[in-house]
Amino acid sequence: MNGRVKLKLEGVGKRFDAGGTIAVQDVTLDVVQGEFLVIVGPSGCGKTTLLNILAGLEAPSAGSVAIDARPIRGPGPERGVMFQDYALFPWQTVWGNIAFGLRHGPAGDGLGAAGIDARVRSTVELVGLAGSERKYPHQLSGGMRQRVALARLIANEPEVLLMDEPLAALDAQTRIILQEELLRIWGQDRPASERRTVVFITHAIDEAVFLADRVAVMTSHPGRLKAVIDVPLPRPRNDATRALAESQALAQRIWGLIRDEAYRATVT
Amino acid sequence: MTTAIRHGRFGTAFAYMRTMAVFVAAWWALALWTGNPALLPTPLEVLKAIVALASDLELFLHAGISLWRMLLSLALATVLAVPLGVAMGLSRVLDGLVDPVVEILRPISGIAWIPLALFILGVGNALPVFIMTYAAFFPILLGTVAGVRGVDRRLIDAARTMGVPHRRIVARVVVPAALPSLLVALRLGVASSWTAVVAAELIGAPSGLGYAIEWYRELLLTPQVMTFIAMIGLLGYLFDRALRALAQRFTPWAADARMS
Amino acid sequence: MSTALPSTRSFALPAARSVALPIALVVVWQLAGAASGNARTPLPTHVLAAALQLIESGELPLALLQSLGRVFTGFAIAAALAIPLGLAMGSFAGVERNVDPLVESFRPIAAIAILPLAILWLGTGTPAAVLIVAYAAFFPIVVNTVAGAKRINPTLLRAAATMGLSRLAIVRTVVVPGALPAIGTGLRIAMGVAWTAIVAAELAVGAKAGGGGSGGIGQMMFVFYAYSIELNRIVVCMIAVGLVALALDRALRAAMRWAMPWAAR
Repeated sequence: MNGRVKLKLEGVGKRFDAGGTIAVQDVTLDVVQGEFLVIVGPSGCGKTTLLNILAGLEAPSAGSVAIDARPIRGPGPERGVMFQDYALFPWQTVWGNIAFGLRHGPAGDGLGAAGIDARVRSTVELVGLAGSERKYPHQLSGGMRQRVALARLIANEPEVLLMDEPLAALDAQTRIILQEELLRIWGQDRPASERRTVVFITHAIDEAVFLADRVAVMTSHPGRLKAVIDVPLPRPRNDATRALAESQALAQRIWGLIRDEAYRATVT
Repeated sequence: MTTAIRHGRFGTAFAYMRTMAVFVAAWWALALWTGNPALLPTPLEVLKAIVALASDLELFLHAGISLWRMLLSLALATVLAVPLGVAMGLSRVLDGLVDPVVEILRPISGIAWIPLALFILGVGNALPVFIMTYAAFFPILLGTVAGVRGVDRRLIDAARTMGVPHRRIVARVVVPAALPSLLVALRLGVASSWTAVVAAELIGAPSGLGYAIEWYRELLLTPQVMTFIAMIGLLGYLFDRALRALAQRFTPWAADARMS
Repeated sequence: MSTALPSTRSFALPAARSVALPIALVVVWQLAGAASGNARTPLPTHVLAAALQLIESGELPLALLQSLGRVFTGFAIAAALAIPLGLAMGSFAGVERNVDPLVESFRPIAAIAILPLAILWLGTGTPAAVLIVAYAAFFPIVVNTVAGAKRINPTLLRAAATMGLSRLAIVRTVVVPGALPAIGTGLRIAMGVAWTAIVAAELAVGAKAGGGGSGGIGQMMFVFYAYSIELNRIVVCMIAVGLVALALDRALRAAMRWAMPWAAR
């Protein structure tokens, strides 16, 4: 894959409690600027741990992780995270949630109240939340909450978007819609240098193939990188893409790589 | 009985009145049978007492005094317990240090302090307030600690990934997220405190509902005794309702926070 | 990464921390009290001496036994009434609709407020005390039992019904075991409330009806205040009240764990 390396994982390993479980072992991976990288694998393969390490929420026990060749030492708005169950602030409205990082974190430095408002407004428009600014998370559907989580993330204009199974809690139909929305918001028809880098975790293979430029396949016990597969499907991607023979072939190939493990997981 | 009346809020009000009517009727029968108004007055006599005490405002005077003490105690207990609870919830070290003292003092109910407090403070306003503050302190403290500890880890992580500094996270994430638990803790504190008010005033105060109950008991004026007892119940109920409404207003997102 | 056993240091530090503040406070109490010069001030050393005296003379154990006897009697009466009622209320909407107004109207009235009525009806002795305890313990048990019965997964109830069980049999075989943890919680809370209530009742009776007669730890505390003005003995009683409360709670928790090992704490 060509292009500048944005995130670099080298020999990353993570072990919880001295002598305890190894979550990930010896993961070496380059994430290219502007690419949509999807990490796929069965439960327990350490994908979330890897994401947490990239986010800076956890430190690796072995190896190194860097952004733009600078070592990652902790969390920060340049690597925004979207969590599995949204983690929206229930006491804030949609507007308040989106504005939060700008009001209280470094992403809003120098913006001023008017600047923050403008940024939130444009994010709201982009993500399709117009009209719901005053609502609270508990009044929203799952799909709407997901949009808010995404909006909150991109309002801070991160360089990298880290997403941990963001669509897992949604029903199948909403999922399909939001996958396309995600690609639109990410800017799938813009050149790589202008796009943000995305690292996306899922266990749904069809989702991975639909979204990704590359798919990193992991196996579990311990979590290891098994293969990295190119997804040269044309962009912009839509319903037609899903029907392509090439989509099916890629999905089959990935499934073949993890099938045994997935089976074992159901009998242990 | 049509289904329209049976169900819905109208139905509940109807059921309430029906039950209370049965209760009052049974009471009346029992009162007439015992025939001793000092032992068991009829509902009518109690009603007359209520009207009398209400119209010369004595009922409201004592109620007001007890209520005032309750509010003061609640404020004091909150000011003491909440900051400490937040600090303890955030710092394992502090919690490990302070919790043993809390656990030693907590089983000694506020009421057990009355004799000692009587000696130090004497009969008067300070005694009930002290006892009630003490009684409210522990539920509020423990509820706050639990609330802070129970804050969804993910919310804090989300704020961290936005680069929000630690102090801000405490003020802007931990405290708001713990608010529902805090309000439940306050309700429990109020309940505890209001229970203590009677004992404290009965023994150690020259005014208030507890005092009034005892005063009228010594005069064997049972209808009046019952009036003040009913007032205690009513105020306790209203206070709880008020706090629930407050919780609903300020933390509408919280899943039904019920008292056990 | 080391797999060695945790060193003694990692045990000692938390243990030391947990007694540090209490010990420090006791020391401060001793020093400050001694320095105050007032002969009446209760000091830890005096309290300890008074405790030994009271235990030896049998006064403390006797008073505690009296109070505990009343608590257990009242508690048993409350449980015998409240558990069946709670189960009925939680299982049959009709029962709840008719009884709940009464329960909810009296629940906010604390037991101690009923004391003057109890004294009017039953005098200042044990019967009135037992009544207060029973009244106090009744509500937490009912409320928790109802909640427990209502929380039963409706799917379980439906499954039992489709197997042909009568309503009563369903209550017996599905609702009761399912509600047991909640009932246990209610009992535990009720025990705490009952103990507080008996102390309050005995204290109040002691205060209003004179020093003798009623017995129990609460009354003893008041006597030490009003008659012999023995502050050290008052503190001994306070500590005894606290210790008994703890013991009762622990005992009930252990009983719950024994009876329902499957219930999460």
